[in-house]
Amino acid sequence: MSDRLRAVLPSVFSVFLALAVCWCLIALTHDATKATEAYLHLLRGGLGDWAKYLEEGTSTLLTRPLGEAAIKASLLLLTGLSVTVAFKVGLFNIGAQGQMLVGALTAAVVGAQLKLPALLHVPAALLGACVAGALWALIAAGLKLTRGVHEVISTIMLNWVAVSLVDNWLVVGPLRAGAGTVLSTTGTAQIAASAHLPRLLGDSSRLHLGFPLALAVALAIWVWLARLRTGFETRAVGLGAEAARAAGIPVGRRMLGAMGLAGALAGLAGALLVLGTELRYPGSLGAPYGFDGIAISLIGGNHPLGVALSALFFGVLRAGGTNMQLLNLSKSYPELIQGFALLFVAGRLVWLAFMRRRQTAAPTAPVAPKQPEPSPEVPRA
Amino acid sequence: MISLRHIHKRFGAVTALDDVSLDIGTGEVIALVGENGAGKSTLMNVLYGLYQADAGEIRVGGQPVRLRSPRDAIARGIGMVHQHFMLVPTLTVAENVVLGREPSRWGRMDMDRACEEVAATCERFGFKLDPRARVDTLSVGSQQKVEIVKALHRGAQVLILDEPTAVLTPQEADDLFRVARELAAGGRTVVFISHKLREVLSVAERVAVMRRGRLVAEVRAANTRPEELAALMVGESRVPQAEAQAYHPPQGEKLLEARELQARGADGRPALRGASLEVHAGEIVGIAGVDGNGQRELAEVLTGLRELDGGGGTLLGKPLTGLTPAEARERGVGHVPEDRLWRAVVKAMSVEENVALGRQGKAPFAKGPQVDFAGRRERTRLLLQTYDVRPPDPEVPLQALSGGNQQKVVVARELDAAPKLLVVVQPTRGLDIGAVAQVQARLREARDRGAGVVLVSLDLEEVLALADRIYVFFEGRITGSFTRPEFDEREIGRRMLGTGQEVAHE
Repeated sequence: MSDRLRAVLPSVFSVFLALAVCWCLIALTHDATKATEAYLHLLRGGLGDWAKYLEEGTSTLLTRPLGEAAIKASLLLLTGLSVTVAFKVGLFNIGAQGQMLVGALTAAVVGAQLKLPALLHVPAALLGACVAGALWALIAAGLKLTRGVHEVISTIMLNWVAVSLVDNWLVVGPLRAGAGTVLSTTGTAQIAASAHLPRLLGDSSRLHLGFPLALAVALAIWVWLARLRTGFETRAVGLGAEAARAAGIPVGRRMLGAMGLAGALAGLAGALLVLGTELRYPGSLGAPYGFDGIAISLIGGNHPLGVALSALFFGVLRAGGTNMQLLNLSKSYPELIQGFALLFVAGRLVWLAFMRRRQTAAPTAPVAPKQPEPSPEVPRA
Repeated sequence: MISLRHIHKRFGAVTALDDVSLDIGTGEVIALVGENGAGKSTLMNVLYGLYQADAGEIRVGGQPVRLRSPRDAIARGIGMVHQHFMLVPTLTVAENVVLGREPSRWGRMDMDRACEEVAATCERFGFKLDPRARVDTLSVGSQQKVEIVKALHRGAQVLILDEPTAVLTPQEADDLFRVARELAAGGRTVVFISHKLREVLSVAERVAVMRRGRLVAEVRAANTRPEELAALMVGESRVPQAEAQAYHPPQGEKLLEARELQARGADGRPALRGASLEVHAGEIVGIAGVDGNGQRELAEVLTGLRELDGGGGTLLGKPLTGLTPAEARERGVGHVPEDRLWRAVVKAMSVEENVALGRQGKAPFAKGPQVDFAGRRERTRLLLQTYDVRPPDPEVPLQALSGGNQQKVVVARELDAAPKLLVVVQPTRGLDIGAVAQVQARLREARDRGAGVVLVSLDLEEVLALADRIYVFFEGRITGSFTRPEFDEREIGRRMLGTGQEVAHE
């Protein structure tokens, strides 16, 4: 248990440090009271205005902000899991954004074009988005396995391909609502009512089925990685590909599987955005949830449950950020906090790696039995 | 001329050197022996300026000196040849020797002068090396000489050789001993770090024995027997005797029949070039050879890790061609690979997860698609106990274990699968005496149980001690095959170098 605590602490510490730094930034550019007030606004915007609720008893004072936070959290959670799953098999998925775009578009098309009863329509749109995201990610995985193309390069490139394909062509061209007519609209056609993700709290909040779905997915992925044989094999490939190969684990298949799943998760995030809140593919998807996934995953320690916590926290922050604008503060502060937190987490990892290197420089210590690598000051010949 | 006084060195909580004092005279060959982790390399690294002592004093020629880096040590005439050579393989001998202090003219390197200088140094010390030969075309023994010449060229009066014979054939080792004695006769000092007792006694005049960071004895080689030295090294009376090895005629079923195997190495060049061999149940087949003559690729072919380019045969009743690692395990091939941390284990995973590796889909490690946590824990505990792994904790990450204990985990795992054929590569490299004895005993047990064992080792002593039959590899072919008790070390050594008589038909 203490081990687990120790694993979580640095992320928590980094997040609080980031909060403190941003507080200072606001205090320096405005003043300290404003900074504190801003954080209170942020909390009210993300977790609900409890003081006012206790006074007035209007439940929407809580449900609206919490619902927004949950919606943002579910998107961050899915893209974060996408990065985590790829990471577990040893791949760095920078392409969650592109996978999310193609997933979102597929969900929008399935939602608008197909005529199905609601019981089938929503699953069909979700599934379509997953498949599209998975295929998009598998392009990178396939290139890696057959041609040795580094996945960081290919997934970054595929992001831009997705933007060009989806945002810059399909959505403004052939798939535009009213394409071929004189109507000037942006985005694709509205999805059918049968494809809407059901709202959970009626009109008092936009909270929809996507949130519990995302939490369930996180739980499923945790179970898969920790308790199932294929999850074990996937982790083994990520931590020691050659040892996994020698143990008879189909390394290529596990990589394809994990990368496909990563793409499906990002695609699912796109589907939640379209089926839950946007109800069509808007002119541009805007929010870079795919890129946020990288930060969420790292801050969450690349552990499905950690990622869930980190996504919930930043979901609250993001939802609250809108509220900060009421004080004439930029709403990018929550993103700034996320950025700082990532920096501190990463900085800690660098520090740890550095410390480990120094430790293993001890050659005769029983814990480091291998012959020491010649230290850099040895004259190399 | 060199005096180490009361040297202390700690790494974290571990005391690596505890009040070590040693005098090294001029013109002598002195050996430093001890088990792995006894502190012999640390002591020499302190002398070479790689580590700073926490306390104590180093005197060179009576003067107290501070050696902050190898540069300081070289300036004082101390040179060191590491176990892993630090040569640039694509450069020539001369370029390697002068690297860092190249003679230059008009800002350009003066190759001719470099070659002359290096040739002069070689001649002076009696080395036969072509200064213009590329290092990667040289044998391991010659590369080692390049390292020695490099140190001498920089004015080394004291030459520290760290485990110098680990990679050499008996002939090359003899040659090295001759060089060492000549250098000593010429007034230079040679410090031999080793744990091979016989060679230490044959080359050195004085032997310093280290144990757990302390210098426990200094003896004259002339009146010391290897057994006494071993007892000093180990401390207690737990000196594992090399068991008298009985002859085990290969009478079991034929497990492997390989014909004309051809395969490329990791660098894409042909490594196996028509090797044919057989392995029967109940025998240990040793593969002897100088590093890089196709032994590694043979082990990879037999475990499905490397594709065949040509040739074939049968392995455990089915074709050898197209074998995958999973299929090899399915047929009953166990594998203790050479590079443990790369290929045998996942160091960041727990000990129990590593024990499951390779059998993760089978009982007691899985129940259907699920990991069987209880079964895995129970089996791991049993194995850790049986194989005396310390600490016997299934949950710690494997990398927290010492090298010897990691290797025990690997051997335990592979033998627990009851393999019909066990392919082991360098199974005792880097282990201390206790672990070596245990691993070797386990291999004998596996053989006695009826498994066939293919033992690839660069340590000829180990092959001679364990094998019932020996194949000698040279340039991807088999240049000799020997059956116990007709092991002829000299002849095996010649075959390892591709010389000796033509191979009679086996």
